[in-house]
Formats: sequence, structure tokens, C-alpha cells
Amino acid sequence: MRDITLTDMERLGALDEADRTFQMTEEAFRTFYELTARPVRVYLARLTGDDRIADDLLQETYYRFLRANVKFDSDEHRRNYLFRIATNLVHDHRRKPFLEVPATVIADLPDSATAAQSAERAARRLDLHRAMKQLKPRERSMLWLAYAQGWSHEEIAGAVGVKTSSMKQMLHRARQRLLAVMHRGGRL
Amino acid sequence: MTHLRQGDGGQAACDCPNETAVVNAVLSGSWPHGCDEALVAHAQHCLTCSEVASVSILLREDSEHSRIEAHVPAAGQVWWRAAVRARLESTHAAARPMTWMHGITAAIVAGVVLAALTAIFPVLPSAFNTAWTFARELLPNPEIATAIGDGLRLSLFVGLGAAVLMLLAPLALYFVLRED
Repeated sequence: MRDITLTDMERLGALDEADRTFQMTEEAFRTFYELTARPVRVYLARLTGDDRIADDLLQETYYRFLRANVKFDSDEHRRNYLFRIATNLVHDHRRKPFLEVPATVIADLPDSATAAQSAERAARRLDLHRAMKQLKPRERSMLWLAYAQGWSHEEIAGAVGVKTSSMKQMLHRARQRLLAVMHRGGRL
Repeated sequence: MTHLRQGDGGQAACDCPNETAVVNAVLSGSWPHGCDEALVAHAQHCLTCSEVASVSILLREDSEHSRIEAHVPAAGQVWWRAAVRARLESTHAAARPMTWMHGITAAIVAGVVLAALTAIFPVLPSAFNTAWTFARELLPNPEIATAIGDGLRLSLFVGLGAAVLMLLAPLALYFVLRED
């Protein structure tokens, strides 16, 4: 498909600029993106509660990542840095706190023998989203990174921007708050 | 795993060394039937581990389904958009010194205009008086001479004002619209 807004010269200029300013080649980026895009997109969606905002922030996250002038020690370091950018972007984007639960959670119930099971699972996820909605953004971040991503306390502390020493206590509080909200709503 | 700590009263509510093992078991999908039985038995008695297991199960399930449902743009698309944006930002950054140059030029022009006005201004009244006296001598009627003199004075001020406006208006317009 031809781009009608950019001339060929501008295209070449953009590619030159990418080579000059981005910290990785397009090939390397493609590999990294395939590994990380979905987890980051889901993380952003859970933190913002809005798919459209999550889409915008996903593009912004990768743009900032590509322009970052950072030397990465390992793939984990690279991935953690990406999530840190995503976390900071969500925190900067607090104008709309936590919006509606994504419709996909309740929309795709299959009409089959497993419908009851699927419905139960969808209801559980809906309950979880509602409960998460009542937590602070930082608590949502910590819980997601710890229990959906399986990150260590050090990694979470780096991404969320808190001291590692206080991470255990903060996670404990966030966990209890989530469970309390779900218990209160009769969701567990 | 043989030395699992039991969740007893002496243990801090948020502190259990088996927490990580529980999370790993849940996230790997081996919880509760595919992992160490001692770990599962421990979690039944340990407040921290049972909490961790409950939360991990919920979040893992949500995470897995969300990843399947999530629609992400193609890597090439993200790369291309980022490249175009980098180009635009670079162009904008390159144009910034020019903007500074324009600002400095505008300041110099304004200074020259003001200096010229300041230099001319003391001379103006005497020039007007000379012109008025000359006109009065030429014209027999003093009322007509006065009227012509006043008219000349006024039109000179209007002309000067218009000149300044014509000089400054494009500059002002440039600074207002330069972001567009």
C-alpha cells in the first residue's frame, strides 16, 4: 500500500533517521517485539482499563524504548526497561483513571458444551477486573508483574520505582486488598 | 522440597520463603497437581502462600486469555511509525536554531526602529514649527496656515505609526504562527 502523505525522499529520510537514532536494527526489533508486544499490551490494558489508551501507549512505549540511550546487560534488563517505560507512561496518563472493563471479557462466550465453564471463567475475569479497578495504579502494576509475569521483587521495584526492601510489604498489602475486595463482592 | 516452613504464628504474615516457588508453580501451569505435594500441603496451612496461590491463579488465567485476545499492530508498522516520528522530531530539532536566529533578528530590527524613532523624535517639533512658520508666511490667511500645519503634523504621526505597524506586524504574525 502506498503512503500518500510521505514522499519517497521523506521515507528514505525516516529510515536514515531510524538507523541513526534507534538503539537496535529493524530485524532485532522485530524479534524483540514479537516476544514482548502482547505482554506489554495486556499490562497496559490492565493498568489503564482502556484498550484504546493501551494501543496508544503501546506505540509510545516502543518509540521511547527505541530512542533510549541505554546499554542493556541482558534480555531481562531490556524487557524490564520496556516495562518500566510502560509503567511510567501509565502513571503519566492519569487523566482518565480506570475506565470500563474491556468488552472482550464478556463478549466471546462459546455456544458449546463448555459454555458453562467458559462463562464461569469469563465471570471470574470480569470480577477480577472490577476488583483491580479499586486498587491504586501502583498496586495493580505490582500485582500484575509479580503474579501474572512472575517477576522478582528486584525487577518489580525497578519497574515501579520503589525500594526493593519495601516491595514485600507493599505486595502483601496489595494482595490483601485485592482479595478483600473480591471477598467483599462475594467473588471468591 | 522437604523443609517447607509451615505458616505458624511466629512467621510474619507477608514473609514466606516458599512464595516464589508457589508463584513459579502456578505460572508454569503445574499447580496444584503437577508440582511438589509438600508445597501444596504447605500452602494449605500458610496464609501467605495460600494468598499468593489464589492471586496468582486469578492473574495467570486473566493474563493468558488476554494475551490470546490482545490485538497488537505488526512489528513493521510500529517500527515505521517510530521512524517517521523520529524523523519529524529531528527536523523540528534542526529548525530550532533557525527560530532562535529569527528571534534575534526581530529583536535587532525592533531595536533599530526604536533607535531611529528616538533620534528623529527631538527634531520633529522644530521641523514642524519651521514648516508651520514657512506655511504661514506663504499663505496670507493665518487660519488656513494653522489648519494645514496641524494636518501635516497629524499625517506625519499617522505615517510613522503605519510604518512601525507594517514593520512589526509580519514579525508578530511570524512568532504567533510559527508553531503551525
